[in-house]
Amino acid sequence: MRCSIFSCIASRLGRSIAAGARRGLPRLAGAGIALLALTAGPVQADSVTLLPARAFGYFLGDLVRVEADIRLDPGFALVPAALPQPHKVNGYLDLIRVDLSPGPLTADGSSYRLTMVYQNFYGALEPRAMEIPAVPLRATNGEAPRDLLVPAFVFTAAPFRELVPSRGGNPMALRPDILPRPYPLRPEIEAITVAALVGTLALLALALLQGWRPFTRSQRPFATALRALAPLAAAPTDVPAYRAGLITLHRAFDAAAGHRLLADDVAAWCRHDPRYSDLSSEIAGFFTTSRRAFFGAEPAAAMEALPTADLLALARRLAHAERRDPRPRPPAAALAAEGAP
Amino acid sequence: MAELSHAPSPGVTGAETRLADWRAHALDFEREVGQVVLGQERVIRLLTIAVFARGHVLLEGDVGVGKTTLLRAMARAIGGAYARVEGTIDLMPTDLVYDARIGDDGRPRIDPGPLLRRGGDLSIFFFNEINRARPQVHALLLRLMAEHSISAFGTEHDFPHLQVFADRNRVEREETFELPAAARDRFFMEVEVKAPEDRDARRALVFEPRFHDTDTLLRAVREGVVDHRALGALARDIQAAIHASPAIRDYTLGLWDAVRAPAQAGIRLPDVRMDRLVQGGASPRGLSFLIRAARVRAWLEGRDMIVPEDLRAVFPEVMAHRIFFDPVYELRRDTIARALCQAAFDTVPAP
Repeated sequence: MRCSIFSCIASRLGRSIAAGARRGLPRLAGAGIALLALTAGPVQADSVTLLPARAFGYFLGDLVRVEADIRLDPGFALVPAALPQPHKVNGYLDLIRVDLSPGPLTADGSSYRLTMVYQNFYGALEPRAMEIPAVPLRATNGEAPRDLLVPAFVFTAAPFRELVPSRGGNPMALRPDILPRPYPLRPEIEAITVAALVGTLALLALALLQGWRPFTRSQRPFATALRALAPLAAAPTDVPAYRAGLITLHRAFDAAAGHRLLADDVAAWCRHDPRYSDLSSEIAGFFTTSRRAFFGAEPAAAMEALPTADLLALARRLAHAERRDPRPRPPAAALAAEGAP
Repeated sequence: MAELSHAPSPGVTGAETRLADWRAHALDFEREVGQVVLGQERVIRLLTIAVFARGHVLLEGDVGVGKTTLLRAMARAIGGAYARVEGTIDLMPTDLVYDARIGDDGRPRIDPGPLLRRGGDLSIFFFNEINRARPQVHALLLRLMAEHSISAFGTEHDFPHLQVFADRNRVEREETFELPAAARDRFFMEVEVKAPEDRDARRALVFEPRFHDTDTLLRAVREGVVDHRALGALARDIQAAIHASPAIRDYTLGLWDAVRAPAQAGIRLPDVRMDRLVQGGASPRGLSFLIRAARVRAWLEGRDMIVPEDLRAVFPEVMAHRIFFDPVYELRRDTIARALCQAAFDTVPAP
């Protein structure tokens, strides 16, 4: 498929001259004119050679790669502006990419490798020869341009299926869906687990800090005080231990009331919290004794008024009372009124 | 009132009996004042404490809530002379001491002014709207409060039984001279007088005719329920007789620390930066006043020892005006001071 436009023109011209001679022109004169025609310009050695490519088995959408080696005479170079650009060639063929790369330099000129990628959009029903048209190129040495031609390329477009199904069944029937691949979720599950764990711990810490039920640290200050007072039973006459015991019970009263409870507040507190109303006189007695011990500076006299055993008994009764329902009990009259029609 | 006069007698038992007698008269005094001034039991109790602690009181409150009636009733029940001065912007110190006028004979005369007119028998001096008077007048008053004496007509005049009550107008700020912190610190108490909250008391004050004529009303108060000349010595006896245990001393210091450095004491108030709230104050003089007031309160309650309730009963009135706040919080002083005092008692353990 080696060819040159100038050599073709020359050969055609030669053949027409030879035909003229057969029509009676002298043979010599014809040969002389032919020689003149061949030697009138410089001898052209330009060539465009298509590289061998697969010419069959192209389906709808397949890419057809056409490669050509271009060899030019010394001093000539391809004109870049004349190169083909990606474009829609015709109804079934698109030129989608054009690459020009330099070929090996030779002593007698320069060479190029032109790669053109086409996409076939012809949906053939049966095998059919399709032509990729020839592509014109232009070379120049700065003075005179020369036109070159990348030859047409013929390939066979192939059908997807038989024109008439040769066997039973619908060859175009939808195939079953591809099952989704399992997505690897392990890192996400691990992160969620850690976050949930941290969140739960933080919530727990907040609940403890805020004293939300049922996370309150000590719902029963008197029970705690009773445990702390237990060693007092072994030393019932130890005055410093007795003073410490009074302070322990004071702190339990503070915790139960939610503020520092003073002797003058006892009556109001017992009214407010009915769990302790039965013990109001004993609680008032405790506070009177405590006054004598701390503010009257008479711990020994206070110990006589409220001996250690009585102090422990009061703590026990308070610990028992605090287990009751803290809600105020409705008076009997109110209950009777509710039951009345 | 000879039997009520303070006459020192030897022996602890004698002193205790005398204090018990005096206590009965003090409670009588409260009752006498309380029958003409309705719904002000707490104010009357605080002023009674001030009377028996010999402390000067700054009153605050709306107009027409009965401050003057209360003070006149107290003066009548205590006995001794009562004088009253209205604070104005052009009042000068000499106006308190001298009375300059043109005599009947057409010649200028200088007579004793409101302070001197009743001589050394003056027992209650009421300075109304003290913040309308100039600082020079404040200075004279502060000297009178501290030293119980003034110089006039070339001699020293003593007022051994004098107790000063001043009223501060807090509604208007135009043409007023705010009392400096040092002056407020000299007052034993700052007592707020509000309209009574009890509905029966309010109904009676409005509808019962006897409350409409103050002079007639005050005549119902028995005169000389206590002897004002004996109050000074009695106050000293009370301070000596009521003891403060080590536990109450520790408790008082705990309260002092809590109001001076509330953040360190763990006190939190809403919308307040506790680390910058308290700028100073709560002076040792204030704490000594607190203990004086607590001792009188314990005595009135029939005890010979101070308990935390005594401190709590007088703390806001004795201490709140001595605590100086960051200027950012001064406009909300009343609310914050009350909350801070309450929080201190809720925080410091007793005993």
